[in-house]
Amino acid sequence: MIEIDALEFAYPGAGFQLRIPGFSITKGEKVAVIGPSGSGKTTLLNLVAGILVPEQGRVACAGTEVSALADAARRDFRISSVGFVFQDFELLDYLNVLDNILHPYRITRALHLTAGVRARAESLAGQLGIDDKLRRGVEQLSQGEKQRVAICRALLPGPQLVLADEATGNLDPRNKGHILELLFEAVAMHDATLLAVTHDHELLSQFDRVVDFNDFRVAAS
Amino acid sequence: MLPHRNNTLTQPLALWITAVCLLLMSMSVPAEDKPVVYTVNYPLQYFAERIAGDLVEVVLPVPAGIDPAFWQPDSEAVSAFQQADLILLNGAGYAKWLSRVSLPRRKLINTSAAFRDRYLQVDEGVTHSHGREGDHSHTGVAFTTWLDFKLAAEQARAIAAALSKIRPASKNVFERNLALLEQELLALDSQLREMVATKPAISLLASHPVYQYFKRRYDLNITSVMWEPDVVPGAVQWSELKQLLKLLPSNWMVWEGRPGPESVARLESMGVGSLVFDPCGNRPVEGDFLGVMQQNLQNLKRAY
Amino acid sequence: MDSLYIAWKYLNFSKARTATLVACVTLIAVLPLALQLLLAESERQLLSRAASTPLLLGAPGSALDLVMNGLYFDDEVPELISMAAVDALADSGLASPIPLYVRFKARRFPIVGTTLDYFDFRGLTVTAGRPLALLGDCVVGAEVAERLGLKAGDSLLSSPETVFDLAGVYPLNMKVAGVLARAHTPDDLAVFVDIKTAWVVEGLVHGHQDLSRVEDAGVIIEQSSDNVIANAKLVEYTEINPGNIESFHFHGTPGDYPLSAVITVPNDAKSATILRGRHLDGASDYQLVVPETVIDGLLANIFRIKHMLDAVILVVAVATVLALVLVFALSIRLRQREIQTVFRIGGSRLTIARLLAAEIAIIALISGVLCAVALLLVHHYSDELVRSLVIR
Repeated sequence: MIEIDALEFAYPGAGFQLRIPGFSITKGEKVAVIGPSGSGKTTLLNLVAGILVPEQGRVACAGTEVSALADAARRDFRISSVGFVFQDFELLDYLNVLDNILHPYRITRALHLTAGVRARAESLAGQLGIDDKLRRGVEQLSQGEKQRVAICRALLPGPQLVLADEATGNLDPRNKGHILELLFEAVAMHDATLLAVTHDHELLSQFDRVVDFNDFRVAAS
Repeated sequence: MLPHRNNTLTQPLALWITAVCLLLMSMSVPAEDKPVVYTVNYPLQYFAERIAGDLVEVVLPVPAGIDPAFWQPDSEAVSAFQQADLILLNGAGYAKWLSRVSLPRRKLINTSAAFRDRYLQVDEGVTHSHGREGDHSHTGVAFTTWLDFKLAAEQARAIAAALSKIRPASKNVFERNLALLEQELLALDSQLREMVATKPAISLLASHPVYQYFKRRYDLNITSVMWEPDVVPGAVQWSELKQLLKLLPSNWMVWEGRPGPESVARLESMGVGSLVFDPCGNRPVEGDFLGVMQQNLQNLKRAY
Repeated sequence: MDSLYIAWKYLNFSKARTATLVACVTLIAVLPLALQLLLAESERQLLSRAASTPLLLGAPGSALDLVMNGLYFDDEVPELISMAAVDALADSGLASPIPLYVRFKARRFPIVGTTLDYFDFRGLTVTAGRPLALLGDCVVGAEVAERLGLKAGDSLLSSPETVFDLAGVYPLNMKVAGVLARAHTPDDLAVFVDIKTAWVVEGLVHGHQDLSRVEDAGVIIEQSSDNVIANAKLVEYTEINPGNIESFHFHGTPGDYPLSAVITVPNDAKSATILRGRHLDGASDYQLVVPETVIDGLLANIFRIKHMLDAVILVVAVATVLALVLVFALSIRLRQREIQTVFRIGGSRLTIARLLAAEIAIIALISGVLCAVALLLVHHYSDELVRSLVIR
């Protein structure tokens, strides 16, 4: 699913360089990435999603060499093939739950909001147990409910790859496991691959594979 | 033997017939084009009708039997005045109601404006004031200007001028008619002066103070009381008259209207005869202004 | 459309902020335009009224006060003149005089004492009832009738000149004879009476019982055969009706009776020139002004002030725009996380630009609608606003 070869990336003027000689994830795998803060875990997600472009090396995802695409193509790839789940949920407080789920369809012409899409959104919300809250404002939701909305938003376009950046980081211990379970179920149901950055070591056993960023040679100036 | 002809009547009669003929000769005007002229008393109506003929409609809205000087029109009558093309006023404070109504100034013609410096102040009647130092009323100005036939002619001239302004096309007709009317008025004036000249010193009583201009013009010795022809004077009034007669012996009481028989009889018992000199402020029951004045002269002759 | 949807949701969520922005934009757009409308209407009203009045005669002094009182029935009463001025003008044969006495009020509306010629001069017609006919009648302007609910046959009481005028003249209960057709001029807001009725209101003309037949001897101070002196106990009539109208009389000389101004309608241009020559500075006891000239001067001053106001509004507008730009800039800063999220899930810079543009467009649209409504209202009520705010 994901293939990374001889990747090198550095933020301009940041004095930080990420080097990944080789890395791959197979389709359907649920992979966790761990490592110290500032080691480049989120950068990895951004490179895989095509938000960032490596200085050297190659990033391929779902058969597409993302690192070789132009800006617009990378965006289109991202919106249709990648679903993001963030630590702080990144929901919009001025939209209700349903509108937040449908948000990706409103910000790009690559996706078309149809009646079928709305029906799928409602169905997805039902699977995650939030279909009775579709008309509510997000400020009325608990943390766990908010993350479920974020998961719905990420999965609605039918991505092949789900990138979760500390998806359970802001949840209480009781919810962490439950949300992760829901995420796994949803990813499996959509036949997607999951790459998750996490600091929650107690959850690692639930992943298929754990990648430690300490295994990569990371040079810091 | 030729029948005796009354020369004093023939001349005015001839003039009258001529006038009528001229009136008949003047152009008749469709009713809808006729200006409408309102007057405040009968003499002005008569003068206007004599001058304008049927070229103008002349209206005196005062009901018969009411003295126009003291008539108070209602709002409908005032509205009718407002609609007129011309409103002929006598001036000299005549028609007190004028100060209590609204009339368009541009339509008002004061027919005595030319001689307002010759108005006569009246000192009969009771004035009043508010507080010792406050505003007070005057009894006013005498208003029977038309009884001075020379002034009457001036009023007629003012009417002719005003009519000529609203109907300039008929100016010549108006002037012709005015000339005739003036002639008749001045003839009356002459007759009176001649009559009075025969006995200039005689003293006359007047039942009401309405002969001021008459008195001045014809140099008459008239003393007025405040009687009404249809009211029998009371004891006080008879007593006052007796006192007056002692001071100013007089043989004749000049009435402004036909007096009651009781008043006449009592006066006669005092050696005072009664004659009527009708100011003719309103429309007479019979005849017209000149006819009434001619009759007045005849009546007055009894004193001379 | 999606951008508009999201933008609308955002603006609707922050109602107070949105309302404030809309209010700022609306105000800054409406103010200069409304001011322009009102000034144009002021100019029109002032000039048309002044242009239709050839000459105005009054006491020497402020020409502006004379014109404002005589044409627009302003509360400032100029020095008074007398009816002798009217008689002199009429006798001159050069002009037709229309006297005005604008001094008193009836329930906040000016009482204009004049003659019937005024109505012909101003083209005023009675739409209900009849014109002035008898002493004590009044004819009210259309706006007066509407605001006071008056119709022909009703009564209207004059107001005392001062609240504490305890020893002054009793108010006169006037009869509403008619209501004038709407003229869209200050005449709509006036109560017209005959000039003589105005003098009744002042107390110069009054009516009371005949003193020669009074029953209460306490009313009389002194009585002789030719004069009766009455004291203040004598009751004067406060209403004129058919039963007492004949008792109303003048004291003093009518030529001395007061006026505030005389509208002078010259017979022709030559007469106008002659009259103006006779009333040049110090040449007579009066001043004869050309209202149009006086109002031109007033408007020139108003427009000088308007230019200053325009400059002030421009500065305020620039400041407001800068403030709005700052608000948007801060808003973008505050929404950085939202913007980053949009980028991360596939949106572009163009997406962000479209969202912000949609917000601006919606605010502009709402402001535009409010601005249009406000200007329509101002335009609709401009003649009334000008008459109440500017002229009177």
